[in-house]
Amino acid sequence: MTEPTRSPVTRIREHAASMPDAVALRDKDMGIWREWTWAEYWDQVQLAGHAFLQLGVVPGDRVAIHSENRPEWLVADLGALAVRAASVGIYPTNPAAEVGYLLGDSGARILVAEDQEQVDKAFAVLDECPELQRVVYLEPRGIRHRYDDRRLLGWPEFLELGRSHRERHPDALAQVLAGQRPDDLATLIYTSGTTGPPKGAMLTVANVEFATRVLIEEGAFTDPPPGPRDLTLSYLPLSHVAERIFTTWFNAAAGTQVNFAESIETVPQNLREVQPTILFGVPRIWEKLLAGIEIRLSGASWLKRKVAAFWLGVADGIGERLVETGGRHTAGTRLRYAVGHVFFYRALKDRLGMRKVRYAASGAAPIAPEVLRFFMGIGVPMHEVYGMTENTAVATGNRPGRVKLGTVGEVHPGTELRIDEETGEILTRHAGVFAGYWRNEEATRQALTEDGWLHTGDVGEWVDGTHVRITDRMKDIIITAGGKNVSPSMIENALKASPYIREAIVIGDGRRFLSALIGIELDTVGEWAQRRQLGYSTYRDLSEKPEVVELVAGIVTEVNSRFAQVEQVREFRLLPKELDHEDGELTATQKVKRSAISRMFEDAVQDMYAGAVGPR
Amino acid sequence: MTATATERRSRSRGRLRGRPQLYRSYAQELALFNTRPKQVWVGVIVLMSFLLPFLVSDSLLQTLALGFAFAIGALGLNIVTGLAGQVSLGHAFFLGVGAYTAAAISGDPDGRTIGFGITNILVWLPAAGLVAAVAGVLVAPLATRLRGLYLAIVTLGLVFIGEFVFGEWSDLTGGNGVGREAAVPDLFGYDFSRDSESLTADQNLYLLMLVLMLVFALGARNLARSRVGRAFSAVRDRDMAAEMMGINLPRTKTVAFGISSFYAGCAGALIYSIIGFFEPSSFSLLLSVQFIAMVLIGGAGTVSGTIMGALFISLLPTLTRELPSYLPVISAQVTETPNIYQLESILYGLLIVGFLLFEPRGLFGIWVRIRNYWKGWPFSY
Repeated sequence: MTEPTRSPVTRIREHAASMPDAVALRDKDMGIWREWTWAEYWDQVQLAGHAFLQLGVVPGDRVAIHSENRPEWLVADLGALAVRAASVGIYPTNPAAEVGYLLGDSGARILVAEDQEQVDKAFAVLDECPELQRVVYLEPRGIRHRYDDRRLLGWPEFLELGRSHRERHPDALAQVLAGQRPDDLATLIYTSGTTGPPKGAMLTVANVEFATRVLIEEGAFTDPPPGPRDLTLSYLPLSHVAERIFTTWFNAAAGTQVNFAESIETVPQNLREVQPTILFGVPRIWEKLLAGIEIRLSGASWLKRKVAAFWLGVADGIGERLVETGGRHTAGTRLRYAVGHVFFYRALKDRLGMRKVRYAASGAAPIAPEVLRFFMGIGVPMHEVYGMTENTAVATGNRPGRVKLGTVGEVHPGTELRIDEETGEILTRHAGVFAGYWRNEEATRQALTEDGWLHTGDVGEWVDGTHVRITDRMKDIIITAGGKNVSPSMIENALKASPYIREAIVIGDGRRFLSALIGIELDTVGEWAQRRQLGYSTYRDLSEKPEVVELVAGIVTEVNSRFAQVEQVREFRLLPKELDHEDGELTATQKVKRSAISRMFEDAVQDMYAGAVGPR
Repeated sequence: MTATATERRSRSRGRLRGRPQLYRSYAQELALFNTRPKQVWVGVIVLMSFLLPFLVSDSLLQTLALGFAFAIGALGLNIVTGLAGQVSLGHAFFLGVGAYTAAAISGDPDGRTIGFGITNILVWLPAAGLVAAVAGVLVAPLATRLRGLYLAIVTLGLVFIGEFVFGEWSDLTGGNGVGREAAVPDLFGYDFSRDSESLTADQNLYLLMLVLMLVFALGARNLARSRVGRAFSAVRDRDMAAEMMGINLPRTKTVAFGISSFYAGCAGALIYSIIGFFEPSSFSLLLSVQFIAMVLIGGAGTVSGTIMGALFISLLPTLTRELPSYLPVISAQVTETPNIYQLESILYGLLIVGFLLFEPRGLFGIWVRIRNYWKGWPFSY
């Protein structure tokens, strides 16, 4: 290697040199969006890097970060990368037991914890993580002057360590960084673990750089490629590969301005303020936004309701046409949209915070096409993309103007993707494929073939020879007693497209017919009940109301009419509680743990199959 | 050295294009006209106001000029009542103090009443304001001890004292039923109350009053968003809580009365310099009530609402005077009943009652409602 290795850190250094006063990050503090310039950002990264050196971090070490999205997350992440250590993101919602597992499994030497809550979780499981030496906390409230532990270190003191280290060894960081190699471990990203315990996927600097080149610089997502004039909103967990790409790597590679949402609850408000130009969301976010629009419109005054109904009807038409053309406007849709823009779409998008969105994407889980079509119709250029942690999220994406609804798009140029003829499994091969699972040889052997192909575990098929459609996760495919293969996620997503349904789990492996456990959306169903003068106290009370059961039955019947006989849901039960990460029903990324669910609600499942002698 | 958080926050920056809700500094959030539409519309309205004298009749201009002068007085009452929450019925008294100060300074030294012959508006206008402000500060100690109904009664007493003093001090005021000539609006020899080469007297006065009102309105708006203005609002919303937050109640109330009286004094001087002649009985309770009507109908606590209210009340007589031609029952003669003057008084009462019942936030409230309807489009909340 003659050329020095590029990495997100060196890219930030370049930005700091070329545009020191441009805005790199924004976070909201006391009601004001304060701005971090590239020079300040790079300075903080350097300080964090020097502080890590001072604390004895050597190349190859791991630094865990347990925090909501905020500038310090990026500073700690890149500070670690600058000293050739790897960051490990922990979801803020992870309960103490999982935190213990992640810290112990990764062998992190330093933990950056956001506040008292996260520090408490770490201290509860210290015995499981012998390698943990220091806990750096960001928010002093409840910790400073109360906790007395020599392993604790406040963020300002941490940076001060870095400052004094930099004064004594001004070149130390640059020297370490110069030694960076492409096969250095950049980060450990733990998979959500719907079945077993989470596994740490090792992404190297080369993986990250490959993803940067394909997804960002070559504009596989946006067209034209992102630049310093683009704004993004960072609100999904940074421990997930998707948000890491859209926040950290977009920012480092293209110089986009990252705006940190205050919390997941304030996302609608923050969206309105920031009006990002590039917006990534997981299906749950888009579904929730759609449900929110429907609730607020149903509560609007008579005239506003009528106007909305009319223009949403037009939007449906536009959306349908766009689906046919692959997202390219025709003269007809352009005209209809232009008129509607004046009366409705502009204001609607402004309220949603999507008026300036030039590229919107959904990924990380399957989504119902109806939801995507809605957003296309109101003028949000929506694209479904596909990728996973193990291939650094480089697999397929719908390209602007070549969208095929219901597919996850085309294979990115310069990468290989094939679908196994026997099993239908999707396999990818390119420089972004990960180096293996951390301290788990066996899992690595299962995921990677000898010649570098990655088993994605997703079953898919080609559409028109160019686009890929994902059928389902391989292990989720249901084989009924009649021997039919059914993909539950298609049915579940169709159900979840209704604003009243939050979760749907289709069951039927080895059974005579399909059934479903359905969780209602508390906000929308609550609103629906209120409008019908239906009193309720708790979630459970609401979901046990016969009227609510009837409401859901109507939706199930409607969805059934779109599926073949064997794919129809014959029985369903409403879940008596909201699924929760803490209770082990969801993963940190809000994915349903099927096995846990059917175990926990075994009675309901038994009940569905007990009474029925056969298909009704 | 890195910038600390506070340095970063205080660094002043402009707004981000197309993102009006993304505040990058407190200064931006507190800006005089914090949104683009506000900037544009205020600009348009001001421009239109300057073009108006060349488009409409002189008699309407005179009414409007008077309306602007009244608006200055109403802005003063708005500061003490709308912003600081201290009910004052004594506004007429401060108007009188200002009017007589100005008239005395600008009056003819050889005339029947006291006069010093300094006709320059730059002298008599500030003097009128300052003397009234001093009167306000003298009254303030009472106000700092009282609130609500008691304060209203005390300030009501002020009006009666004023009426008595003005009526008896005939050397200054000419006495009841006689009166004296008002201050002359003269700026370095340019007399606004006379026709000049290019402009008629009414156009002159209109423009003078418009400019002055804009200056005073800007002052009031800036006051409202300053530290003092925030202290006023805090006192209005709950004086004890304000004191707990470290606001000096006596000083804040004194400042409120002082500034309010300054506005009133200036307004008094200007109103009668337009009319030209006035007598002591003008400064009665009815005048105070008129100002309260302006503030309440316009929208207490808001500058633009107060101006709307003042113009509305000032234009009301112009409208009622048209009535006899449509409704022959109502007479234009003072001697007959019912006449338009009685109708006017009834209308003031009805309007105050009506607004307080149905639109407590006044004309400004109506405007806010219309604005919110479109602001929320296509949602209602």
